[in-house]
Amino acid sequence: MNFLAPLALALAVLLPVIVALYLLKLRRTEHEISSTYLWRKMIRDVEANAPWQKLKPNLLLFLQLLFLAAIILAAARPFTTGQDAVGQNLILILDSSASMSASDVRPTRLEAAKNRAAQIVDEAPGDRRVTVIEAGTAARLRVSATSDLRLAHQAIEEIQAGMGGSQLGLALELASAVASRQPDTDIFVLSDGRGTLPERLIIHGRLHYVQIGLSAENQAVSQFNLEYLAGGGLQAFIQVSNYGSQPAQRRLDVLADGRVVSAYDLELPAESSESVVAADLPGTGGMIEARLEGSDPLAADDAASVVVRRPAPVKVALVTSGNLFLSTALGLLPNVALSVVQPGEALPAQGADLVIYDRSVPENLPAEGALWFIAPPKSTPFFSVTGLVESPAIRAVDSSDPLLRSVSLDGVNILDSVGIALPGWANTALAGDLADGSSIPLLIYGEQGSRRTAILAFDLSHSDFPLNIAFPITLANTLNWLVPPGEGSVPAALRPGETLAFDLPAGAAQAVFTLPDGKRSNVQAAEGRAVFSNTDLLGVYQVQWLDGQPIRFAVNLFSPLESNINSLDNLPGVEAQAGQASAGAQPGQREWWRWLALAALLLLVAEWLVYQRAALRRLLDAAAHRLKRPVPPGGALRKD
Amino acid sequence: MAAPLFREDFLLRLERLSLAARKSVAGQTQGERRSPRRGQSVEFADFRPYTSGDDIRRIDWNAYARLDKFFIKLFVEEEDLTVHFIVDASRSMRWGTPQKLDYAVRAAGALGYIALCGLDRITAYAIGLGKDAYFPPHRGKRQALAYFDYLQNFAGTATDLVDRPDPVKSLRAYAARVKRPGPLLVLSDLMDDGWLDGLRELTLRGFEVSLVHILAPDEADPQLEGDLKLLDVEGGPPVEVTADYDLLARYRQNLAAWQAEVRDFSLRRAMHYIPLVTTLPLDQLLFTWMRQRGVLR
Repeated sequence: MNFLAPLALALAVLLPVIVALYLLKLRRTEHEISSTYLWRKMIRDVEANAPWQKLKPNLLLFLQLLFLAAIILAAARPFTTGQDAVGQNLILILDSSASMSASDVRPTRLEAAKNRAAQIVDEAPGDRRVTVIEAGTAARLRVSATSDLRLAHQAIEEIQAGMGGSQLGLALELASAVASRQPDTDIFVLSDGRGTLPERLIIHGRLHYVQIGLSAENQAVSQFNLEYLAGGGLQAFIQVSNYGSQPAQRRLDVLADGRVVSAYDLELPAESSESVVAADLPGTGGMIEARLEGSDPLAADDAASVVVRRPAPVKVALVTSGNLFLSTALGLLPNVALSVVQPGEALPAQGADLVIYDRSVPENLPAEGALWFIAPPKSTPFFSVTGLVESPAIRAVDSSDPLLRSVSLDGVNILDSVGIALPGWANTALAGDLADGSSIPLLIYGEQGSRRTAILAFDLSHSDFPLNIAFPITLANTLNWLVPPGEGSVPAALRPGETLAFDLPAGAAQAVFTLPDGKRSNVQAAEGRAVFSNTDLLGVYQVQWLDGQPIRFAVNLFSPLESNINSLDNLPGVEAQAGQASAGAQPGQREWWRWLALAALLLLVAEWLVYQRAALRRLLDAAAHRLKRPVPPGGALRKD
Repeated sequence: MAAPLFREDFLLRLERLSLAARKSVAGQTQGERRSPRRGQSVEFADFRPYTSGDDIRRIDWNAYARLDKFFIKLFVEEEDLTVHFIVDASRSMRWGTPQKLDYAVRAAGALGYIALCGLDRITAYAIGLGKDAYFPPHRGKRQALAYFDYLQNFAGTATDLVDRPDPVKSLRAYAARVKRPGPLLVLSDLMDDGWLDGLRELTLRGFEVSLVHILAPDEADPQLEGDLKLLDVEGGPPVEVTADYDLLARYRQNLAAWQAEVRDFSLRRAMHYIPLVTTLPLDQLLFTWMRQRGVLR
């Protein structure tokens, strides 16, 4: 133990002063009594019986000396050297991912990390600046380069366990960016090491990885999908994984709307998965839940829910004079009710979600439903046809386009294509490069008001595109975009922390979300679109707009990275570019004066109590007496 | 002298009381008490044969007529009794509110008056004064004023007090000096080990001792607090104490034990022991306590 202000120890000369004052004070008040006969008699007895009695008058002195000593020690600011050397700047990265909720370290890993972080902050030198970054589903800067310790502690305390992954890499990059601006920085990562990290990361500053957690036996429901069978049946595919190093036995319950419909006893070898197909589930319920009985360190991944949402068949009307490729491909798509109509004939009476005009354009467009034109022979109010173009070289404008998901255009050739002037509402998915260097749109899509429209510019029979594997995929993607599956565009399942964006029907200004914990959250629509990002909790959410039926969706962990809670003893691939350790770096210090000041306060209280003990006892005695009968005049002698 | 010791009506009440002597004692002059001696009185006691030298006036002629023998008729002789009062007038008695000596003097005065009314002789002796104040035997109600004067006189004397009185010596001297022991009342606070030794001497001499143990309220239940140096008004060694609840509680325990010890001592010597605190009204002491204990009747 060392002292920051050793000069204050010189105040110790006050100790003998107290003793001296005490001795002076002990010149007792003189009090004349009739005779000291009885007192002498008593003191004799007391001294014979209790030698410690002599010490009793000194109790006050003793307490006063202790009090002064504590105050002097506190003034001298003693400190102990901490475990970690800390420079001028301190960056703390706290992992708040789902795996940090594991209870292998009591009470949880996150609490342990927070305690450790608070300790590091306390041990840092006096003029340090502290940055706190939370690595959850995103890297959040909680407090930046503050020298206000209270603020830093508060920021640490405010971090809550999330249910998502851990963007350790992002957090480290953020810390590195902060560290590059300020020299002499120490970065502490308090994590179990289970997080998203790039393969290789070089950061500024000195990196200290504080491993939180141990290896632990955890089992999880790692996959849970529903399959809607053609005959109306419903079956679930459930995968249960054991991330521990020991074989485990768990019972898996499958619940439909809270009622157990089947249960499976699973033998799970170490570090392996078991799959279960639960067939013949009641398809009418709204929700199927898979739950592992018993407990393990991480409870969050022991249950998963899926929402039963049987897709309604998409009614597609194909207006063609005959297109084998198209009608075959559409017929093979699941969940599509196809009706083929000759050009000029009336559309089916029940209406259509999508009308595909193959090499034809009607006199009057249908009033509603999505539209898809393929090689339109003439202009419509939506677009204008400019003529025919020879052999355009097809290419994808943006491979991440939703219409081109999983599509490879290798080996696709086109003989000719209709030239179309790109309308203002449309995006180009496929473009054709011409020999003269210019390009034309080949596949465009967009929304006309609220009406989704797509145009494929070339005739399928003038291309080998239908023979290519890209064709059915592009067809399915386009169909999916034109007629989004089911209940608006709210997906049935999300990952924790994932943002949900969906279109609200016209007239709905807001959507009301009900969270798994019962809380409600209103989301205002912006330009007909609602964005909801408060998906940190696991479980089933509900969303409702206008007065429609509530739509449910589930948020499940399903993350091997988080479910595997075995703590890593280093951060793989992360290297610190420490730079030269500056002279300013000094061992962390833990100051003790607060405790000493507290002790001094307690001593002061004790001293006062001891000083007033006679009065206190008299009060107590009087209170006790009041409970008994009143004392008769004449006192104790009356008994004689 | 200042105010009289007692009011008239109080004295009238006192006249109805009388001292009870447990054993008959031979006296000198005729009084109201039975004497072991046979003598002249109206109460017949016995006959005895005439021997020469007897007063022929006391021959029972009726007996001679029947038996032809001389018989002397014996009567119970009623004699007086000397009641002794010993008052502790030391410095320690001149302390307390109400003052212990005042109380002792009033008690001694009242008891003395009762005795005088009963045609007994009283004598008093004050211990603790430089020159022992002795009140020689007096008899008759008329002597009461002299007696009161004597009491008030030594009670008012603040000078000429002994620093460390020696009760053993005084009591032993008193016991030796008195020829005919009788009822003896001691009024003291007993704040000296010598008192009990002295009392033992008196009982051995044949006194019928009643011990009135007088304490001031501040002695029975001291109201002290803090670090104190207790000074002895009699010049005893000072005592340093830190008065707190425990100490005071122990003091009270100790006091009770001491009183029990004195009571035990008294019982073994057939003494009356009457402990009291000066807040006790005097009439309650006389009319209730002393009668209950058989000192008065």
